[in-house]
Amino acid sequence: MGKKFLCRTDECPRNGMKAFETEGGLKILVANSGDRYYGYQAMCPHMDVALEEGFYDGAVITCHQHLWQWDVRSGTPMGQAEAPLQQYELHEEGGALYVVPSDPVRQTELFAGLTDETLAAIGRLARRETFEEGSVIYRPGDPADDLCVLESGRVQFTIGHDEHASPAGFSLRSGEVFGWNALLEDQPHRIATAAALERSSVLLLDGRELFGVFEKDPKAGYLVMRRLASLITQHLTPMGAR
Amino acid sequence: MKILLSAKNQAYSFDCDPGEKILHAGLRSGIGLPYECGTGTCGTCRGRLTQGEIDNEWPEAPGQAGLRRDAGEFLMCQCVARTDCSLQVANVVKPMAPDGFVPATVGSVIRRSTMLTHDVASLDVNVAEPLGFEAGQFVLMSVPGVVGARAYSMTNFERKAKQLAFVIKKKPGGHVSEWLFRGGIEGARVGLFGPLGVATFHPGIGKSLLCIAGGSGIAGIMSILTCAAEARHFDRYRGHVFFGVRTARDVFFLDELAALRARFPDALDVTVALSDEGINAGLEARYPRLRFEAGLIHAVAGARMKGRFDNVRAYAAGPPPMVDATLRMLLLEGRLTSDNIRYDKFS
Repeated sequence: MGKKFLCRTDECPRNGMKAFETEGGLKILVANSGDRYYGYQAMCPHMDVALEEGFYDGAVITCHQHLWQWDVRSGTPMGQAEAPLQQYELHEEGGALYVVPSDPVRQTELFAGLTDETLAAIGRLARRETFEEGSVIYRPGDPADDLCVLESGRVQFTIGHDEHASPAGFSLRSGEVFGWNALLEDQPHRIATAAALERSSVLLLDGRELFGVFEKDPKAGYLVMRRLASLITQHLTPMGAR
Repeated sequence: MKILLSAKNQAYSFDCDPGEKILHAGLRSGIGLPYECGTGTCGTCRGRLTQGEIDNEWPEAPGQAGLRRDAGEFLMCQCVARTDCSLQVANVVKPMAPDGFVPATVGSVIRRSTMLTHDVASLDVNVAEPLGFEAGQFVLMSVPGVVGARAYSMTNFERKAKQLAFVIKKKPGGHVSEWLFRGGIEGARVGLFGPLGVATFHPGIGKSLLCIAGGSGIAGIMSILTCAAEARHFDRYRGHVFFGVRTARDVFFLDELAALRARFPDALDVTVALSDEGINAGLEARYPRLRFEAGLIHAVAGARMKGRFDNVRAYAAGPPPMVDATLRMLLLEGRLTSDNIRYDKFS
């Protein structure tokens, strides 16, 4: 898949932002900052509000609905924002901007900031699998070999069996990871059920092979495991709070 | 009815009474469900029904505009459960802070209604049980014989209030406000659900206050100013109050604002802006402690505050276009970070 025309550079105001659509119908927010152009998802990850209608000062993008904010250089959430913006790589040529097809591994929050070399090594491990609506990705007791990255769709998690089963949150953002016990010691089996609530595409990364990559780049491994720890805490709540 | 709610980060279960809005049931159980207006206009309390049956009490609610109804999306503030239900909320949902006030349904009786201008009245109610709330919060008010509720901010501030005071603006076609304006309502029972809202002030934030209100949006600001004055906040920090109305016949609370100014003459400044006419010499003569300007309140505040946005916590309240313009000014001209901007968009 080659790059796709998005807009002319002069269509995006200087230190301003504007949404454009590729021929295939992909909507992208273009933000200019000095001599650079950045491409992001056009809708706010919070509540599907058009980011184009928000505020932008050349450095920080703010959604006007609930004031979620992001750093224009990276799409990193700031302040109250709970999710990053999905970034699209833009290529500038002859006064026009083109979208370069994105690599889902690079879109994964867990892997943000790793070196190109390590990202490429992780990319080589990835196997893509599509799950139809209602199908089960894994069940409790299944071997926990793979770390899963949601590429598209929506995945729900359930704890417990049969009539004792209760929902335990879900994943719906492209680039979110689940099945993290593939990266934990002494956790050879799945402890929850993951099922596709709609047709979903998932990248599978073998945990042991991933550790192989991290052994060659321990800095990357440290960063990923640190993020994993905060990810897990986000899902822990005192039982009394339920 | 049992509601099983699967949020982005974890699951919750709570009971929902027959006829009770799912949003209210979750909130009174101490679950921090997403909401903003509570009255069907903003669309923030979006949920997705995966199992069970619900009744939508206001299918025409404007907040439903962006919903994917074929995917089972609905507004929790407008729907009641007919059976046990399972639903999903795409947000991270946390339990409410244990030291906060958990909203509840409260019975109340109207004590007094007084006209403040040609289309604004103050309304005092007695509540059956003392209500704890934070300065700047609001309640949903429902009146006899009218479906739906309206959000009104308390103008007073007390730790455990037995009386609540509101500002009611007459909205043509607004059934709740028309009922409240029809006269002879003293002694009538009204339903309240609250407290709600995040545009709150806590003494001890260590920042100067910038309060920008349009019309009846001054209600919650009065509560914040009362709380701040009581906590002697203005002994150490500044307070900048901007109150915008259309014309000289739309002003109210000027005596109260002048009295506050008199208590803290050096720390507090109050500017009243008239958007539809020039400066009124009569008002200037009558209220020497207040400053009067002509123009839209966000622009007046932006010009006056230039160079004074350091260490400021801003509160904005009023009609949505006014709040939007104010947010833009605070972010782009004031360069405030979003955690220092508090507002509720429910007007």
